[in-house]
Amino acid sequence: MGIIAHIADMLASWRSDRGVTFALLFKKFKSILVRNNRILELMADMGDKLGGEYIFDRKYIEDACASLDDQVFKLISDMSVLTQRKNTALFLAFERIQHQLQEEIAGRRNVQGGRLALPFSDIGIEAEDEVGGKISQLGDLSNRLHLRTPDGFAITTAAFFTFMSRNGLLEMAENGIAAWDGSEQALHELADQMQESIMDSPLPWGMVAQIDAMVGVLSANKGGPLRLALRSSAWGEDGDSSFAGQYDTQLNVPPDRVVEAYKAVIASTYSIEAWRYRLDRGYQENEVAMAVGCQLMAESQISGVLFTCTQNLDKGCESMVVSATWGGGAAVVSGETATDTIFLSRTPPYHALTRAIAHKARRLVPATRGDLVWEDVPQELQDIPCLTDAQLEQLARVGMSLERYYKRPQDVEWTFDACGELLILQSRPLRTGDGGGQDAPVQDATSKAEVIFSGKGLVAQRGVAVGKVVLVDHNTDLDQFPEGGILVSKFTSPRYARVMRRACGIITDVGSPTGHMATIAREQRVPALVNTEDATSLLRNGDEITLDATENVVYRGRIVELDRFERTEADMFEESYEYRLLRRLLKRIAPLNLVDPHSEDFKPQACRTYHDITRYIHEKAVEALVDLSQRHKALHHAPAHRLVDGPPLGLTVIDAGGGVNCPPQAASMTMDQLASVPLLAFLEGLTVAGMWDTAPVPVDLGSFMSSFTRTFTASTAGANTVVRNLAVVLREYMNVNMRLGYHYNTIDAYISDQINDNYVYFRFLGGVTELVRRSRRARFVAEVLDRFDFRVEVHGDLVVGRIKKLSETRMLLRMRMLGGLVGYARQLDARMSSDAKVAEHVRAFMEAIAAIAPASHNDRTGGGHAPTAHSGA
Amino acid sequence: MPRLRILVLDDEPIVCKRLKPAFQKAGYEVETFTDSASALTRMAETSFDVVITDLKMEGADGFQVVERAHELLPGARIVVITGFATLDTAKESFRKGAFDFVAKPFKLGGIIDCVRRIEAEMKTQEHAKETPHEPPHF
Repeated sequence: MGIIAHIADMLASWRSDRGVTFALLFKKFKSILVRNNRILELMADMGDKLGGEYIFDRKYIEDACASLDDQVFKLISDMSVLTQRKNTALFLAFERIQHQLQEEIAGRRNVQGGRLALPFSDIGIEAEDEVGGKISQLGDLSNRLHLRTPDGFAITTAAFFTFMSRNGLLEMAENGIAAWDGSEQALHELADQMQESIMDSPLPWGMVAQIDAMVGVLSANKGGPLRLALRSSAWGEDGDSSFAGQYDTQLNVPPDRVVEAYKAVIASTYSIEAWRYRLDRGYQENEVAMAVGCQLMAESQISGVLFTCTQNLDKGCESMVVSATWGGGAAVVSGETATDTIFLSRTPPYHALTRAIAHKARRLVPATRGDLVWEDVPQELQDIPCLTDAQLEQLARVGMSLERYYKRPQDVEWTFDACGELLILQSRPLRTGDGGGQDAPVQDATSKAEVIFSGKGLVAQRGVAVGKVVLVDHNTDLDQFPEGGILVSKFTSPRYARVMRRACGIITDVGSPTGHMATIAREQRVPALVNTEDATSLLRNGDEITLDATENVVYRGRIVELDRFERTEADMFEESYEYRLLRRLLKRIAPLNLVDPHSEDFKPQACRTYHDITRYIHEKAVEALVDLSQRHKALHHAPAHRLVDGPPLGLTVIDAGGGVNCPPQAASMTMDQLASVPLLAFLEGLTVAGMWDTAPVPVDLGSFMSSFTRTFTASTAGANTVVRNLAVVLREYMNVNMRLGYHYNTIDAYISDQINDNYVYFRFLGGVTELVRRSRRARFVAEVLDRFDFRVEVHGDLVVGRIKKLSETRMLLRMRMLGGLVGYARQLDARMSSDAKVAEHVRAFMEAIAAIAPASHNDRTGGGHAPTAHSGA
Repeated sequence: MPRLRILVLDDEPIVCKRLKPAFQKAGYEVETFTDSASALTRMAETSFDVVITDLKMEGADGFQVVERAHELLPGARIVVITGFATLDTAKESFRKGAFDFVAKPFKLGGIIDCVRRIEAEMKTQEHAKETPHEPPHF
């Protein structure tokens, strides 16, 4: 009760010229901080749900979005009161984003008016609406799994709608099917008529220009003559056997024939077979949308297909099988040519089990003027294996990483080009025909297995992993991480992103499912169990184990039944509608585009996500409060003073009662005029020797590019530049908002002899350095706070520490510590060159601070302890 | 003891899709339904040890399913899972015969633990029921 009312009361006496009390404005400012936090927590929560540990439904998604809508709207409203402006641009940005979210939730595909062509490098699985199933998946292979796929661009579904509606073709199809009498003959005629009309219709000028531009870029990158493959990529054509082979592919297309080839692929949407297929499955005409992928034609030397899991009848076990031939792969898929057939083991190093080498007399090669032709294979190549052992192993490795990612056996189309590079052309789930009814064997197998530990840790990504333990610490050379190993480590680290394509599972002693590593594990779908406390002491290098990151169990040995159960589950949760929807929504919520407050793009119009709006308002709210105090100073006797000595923080102190001992009209003040108890302690901590190192921190090369903007700001923020930081004080109270370099500190504290009223709230948000360093710094801050008994929450870069109801002495000790911490962490990201540095800096800081703020239990040893992360729920 | 039989009722298919394989893997028999009418018909036909049901706030039925399930299968433990988790809905659920009340979204591990606890308790009860019939040993 009392305290907030008391502060408000004290502040109320100060009125602005428009009759708005400072108390009200300050209340809005505090409300902005609270909402800011709430929004970041809600976003982190939604991200968490993607890991598969939670069962959520559509209602959750709707509720979470509604809460966000509400908080962001009120955040802007608070901002409008604080700045006493309408903030129309912010409200418009909000309306735009909210509308997009509502459209997504309502299931309305938002492609109208979208981009007509997109380079593959901009495409991921979330782009399915824009580029169809097949191409969005290829984008995923290259941009997320970093596999090589032929470069290219997509002509989007928006382009399809543009082309079709400009020429009245959508109407024609809809009317035609509405008037159809149901006879095969009539459907034939309709299909023929549609296809003819499509081929005869011109492409809108804007589309041709965009296609030409994209072709130009490809051509410039490649050098030499350009040949393209144009492939269909329709809505719903997701490789899950649906529509397989229904639509057209145009191979070896020269640049001047791209438009014709595009129309041919579009026309195939209305072939009699495709139409019949859709009609049989109850598709409506308005569900038809065809994007077209334009890929560089691979210069195939050897091509074929890999099945990652099949029954090997000879050996009576599961294995991989490769079919391979010389030249292009179209003939392997259609079965028109003889192929080598090699069965491979499914465990590294993927030895060949059996080989059957075929007589390969002819191969498919590109013809000079488009399409492919058969030619004879040179005599000496006809009867030798076309793949080397090294190539087989490479294929197997890629196949297994695809299977791990998609959690299904895969049917992979691949090719080795003229330079011997492996390119993946397509990967789709392999229908094995078995599955289901396996529950008993799983239960049998797990009940017989030795449990190494169970019930420990938090699931960051759900799933099962079978493999050998690879213990990893900061000295481990991650480039040597073996294929299919299970990474076991004391800490989580985003550094492990590098090995995630090779690791089949992750177990850590500490860490949070909301941390950066967890986010990356979810992206790569690597089963991950964090915060197990002592996995590193229970598991030894090379142990064969089975990790079940659904029930937090680690078994000794390989329990393939468990792994197989996962692979044969009817539906993958990552592919379900709700997950896809949540992922699409988060794309409009969570990414931060407004990174640099000094950039010209730091404006409401540039806000593309809720995170952008939140970030923008936080920055501007602090500025607004400083401005407010300065404006008042010109008009009134206003208690705002610039602190001229002490640490160079550029601190403006607004006194709301008893916080300073200088005349109210004084523009500046000194440290000895400061009477606010918490602020004095905080500044004292900041000035302790060694904590405020004004000399620039040496920036090593690795962090140079990512932090140069920050360094630049820090170096220009010298005596002449106004660094504006703000403190609002009472005798027992302070609220400090500081931007140091690029990270934010907010400290809100009330400290008196009334123990029950005492509290300190500390909030730290990271800067623009690369992810890894930022998260190390966040870990450092969290670790230190934890040692001083703060309740700590970590959400990515955001660290929040809270403590309350301690005696005045203990609280002031903590304020001094926080001063030290803020000073110490100021440029720390540039120093965080390795994970080992975190513990090192914690030690160094604890030693340095001991003189003025001994921790209550700094006898604890470092390493084994980490703060618990709470989800914001 | 034979394998525990679980019935899951939730009109959101995703909930059934996720719970079914998870319970199967844990060694239980599972049937899932997305509409209450067919779930209740099934409960009238055959017995289940655990009924996991969503609590609908739209439409009239609300607690009716919980009540009916309790009547049809008095021996079954009913676990209510709901996105409308308030003190009132929880109280009302327990009054209508629910054994546990879980707010959505929930953790997969949590609901499996909940069923494991039910299983353990059922075993103890069965054992307790059998004990009085045994002749005393001296």
